[in-house]
Amino acid sequence: MQRFNRLMAALLLLFLLLGPVVLRSLSPAGLPATIERIQIFVTIFLGIFIEAAPFLLAGSLVSGLIEVFVDPGLLGRLTPRRPVLAALAGAGLGLAFPVCECGVVPVTRRLYQKGLPPSVGIAFLLAAPVVNPVVIASTYTAFGWGWMLLGRLGLSFLIAAGIGFLFHLARPDELLLSPAPAAIPVAHAAHEHAPAGHSGPPSSHSGPPSSHSGRIWEALTTAGDDFLDMARYLILGSMLAAGMQTLVPQAALLAVGGGPFTSVVTMLALAFVLSICSTVDAFLALAFVNTFTPASILGFLVFGPMVDVKSSLMFLGVFRRRAVAYLILLPLMMVMAATTYLNLNLGG
Amino acid sequence: MMKQSFKPLLLIALGIFLYTRFANGTLLFYINQRFAWLTLLAAVGLLLVAASYRQSHRAGRQHPKHQHGHAGPPSSPPEALHRQTASWGGLLLVALPIALGLLVPPRPLGATAMQSREVNIGSLSSAPAPANQKLVTVQGEKDILEWLIDFQRIPDPAAFDGQAAQVIGFVYRDDRFTSETFMVSRFAVSCCVADATAVGLIVRWPQADALEKDQWVEVGGHFEAGNFSGEPAPVLVAESITPVEIPNQPYLYYY
Repeated sequence: MQRFNRLMAALLLLFLLLGPVVLRSLSPAGLPATIERIQIFVTIFLGIFIEAAPFLLAGSLVSGLIEVFVDPGLLGRLTPRRPVLAALAGAGLGLAFPVCECGVVPVTRRLYQKGLPPSVGIAFLLAAPVVNPVVIASTYTAFGWGWMLLGRLGLSFLIAAGIGFLFHLARPDELLLSPAPAAIPVAHAAHEHAPAGHSGPPSSHSGPPSSHSGRIWEALTTAGDDFLDMARYLILGSMLAAGMQTLVPQAALLAVGGGPFTSVVTMLALAFVLSICSTVDAFLALAFVNTFTPASILGFLVFGPMVDVKSSLMFLGVFRRRAVAYLILLPLMMVMAATTYLNLNLGG
Repeated sequence: MMKQSFKPLLLIALGIFLYTRFANGTLLFYINQRFAWLTLLAAVGLLLVAASYRQSHRAGRQHPKHQHGHAGPPSSPPEALHRQTASWGGLLLVALPIALGLLVPPRPLGATAMQSREVNIGSLSSAPAPANQKLVTVQGEKDILEWLIDFQRIPDPAAFDGQAAQVIGFVYRDDRFTSETFMVSRFAVSCCVADATAVGLIVRWPQADALEKDQWVEVGGHFEAGNFSGEPAPVLVAESITPVEIPNQPYLYYY
């Protein structure tokens, strides 16, 4: 919680320092204009939050069910031993868990507590918001069958698996906030039979804690805790995104333009700032097809679901700060390199 | 322990907040109508989750294991407990959307928001046309977005000469407009207001400069080839302008 408080304090300070300057420079008409801007800010902030809340709740519910019904260690046993295969499996896991970039964070955190290796989780975290049935359907609706759909899926999968693979070189405690139970000794199997307790006699631990319905209630409570925990980051992220949208004119971003590199940078910046749910971003991307090169639109569709303002803040609830920095920078560089290359070679 | 009992209250408050937005229709100021059922579902889900705290609390007294479930990895109860027991600051932050929603009267995006957004008047580019959308818009009254999609398909402004139109939107003007023109505008939304793009038709009306910015109007008239800040564009020559209330559905939807 200390980390979180520090983060809050830093953000608050930033708002206090920059807020007055920005507001004064932007509202020559004085107070009424400022009030109108605040109203726009609140509308956009609530828009993002209300749109994302159901998805975050769904992710938390999945997390709660995993907590109660998935055997710890099971995931560890199921994961392929070879790091490459493990990363590929992680990137494909989204096909089984249709979550967007808000829901994926609590699910990933829970999977870590159930012993999923960090590299697999990272591949899952980055790929699942795109490589899942819902997003495939919405992208198909927007762009039809073609290389935009295939490119989005393929590039997301490869980049996510690649980054996951890179992270297998790191130790879990270098990445994660709370030590993952995977780090618990091999005697884990014995624990499952008689989980020698810390807080009570073994008898109170063995077997299901109560009836089936009791476990469902327990899953719901866990989901509630997860939701409240993650909602803090979602709210901070939504505020940041809404603030940027209110203060930075889109024209300023769009004016940057059309070159093979600048178009990519513009679309990636837009993806980061707008923080739109991956289930619908394809429809927004359509609005840019005539203004921007196809490859930069592809960049928008691949990068946005992996990293944006609100999901980066949510990452802070799972990973150490340095890991979060890598999780933002690595996808950014990879997507930038891939789409700039496409721009130069498609004659775009 | 105080905090633990505050959590379900917060979840209930959030659920009720979402439900009231849904019930009084202001939900449509924030998101696309097609996602409204998700908000309703979330409201129900939040109440259900809140109820589980009571149930789990009861079960927890009989089964200490319950605390485990909460506390995360059994290897480190103190640390894990620390993580899950959210700080007061964190919980208050979650109450922020409710507070802001109650303090700031809900209002859809309007003319001021257009200053920081791209405006689409169809002649320039960029009105999206989803791949599978039917190619001919049905006859009858077209809204601003449907006209723009038509303009996009037929880039010749003269092609619309004489066609009658009846549209609703808010008044927008900036220094590109003469005293006889304004834009009747709407925001088009695919998901939530975060992705809103402004769309509008150029309207010619002798008393255009007498119209209040942000006033919602119904404009009736016919199209004529004209131009707007140097670019050729179909211009709606108004025959009638009637002030109207903000429609229940302030935004137009791309799909």
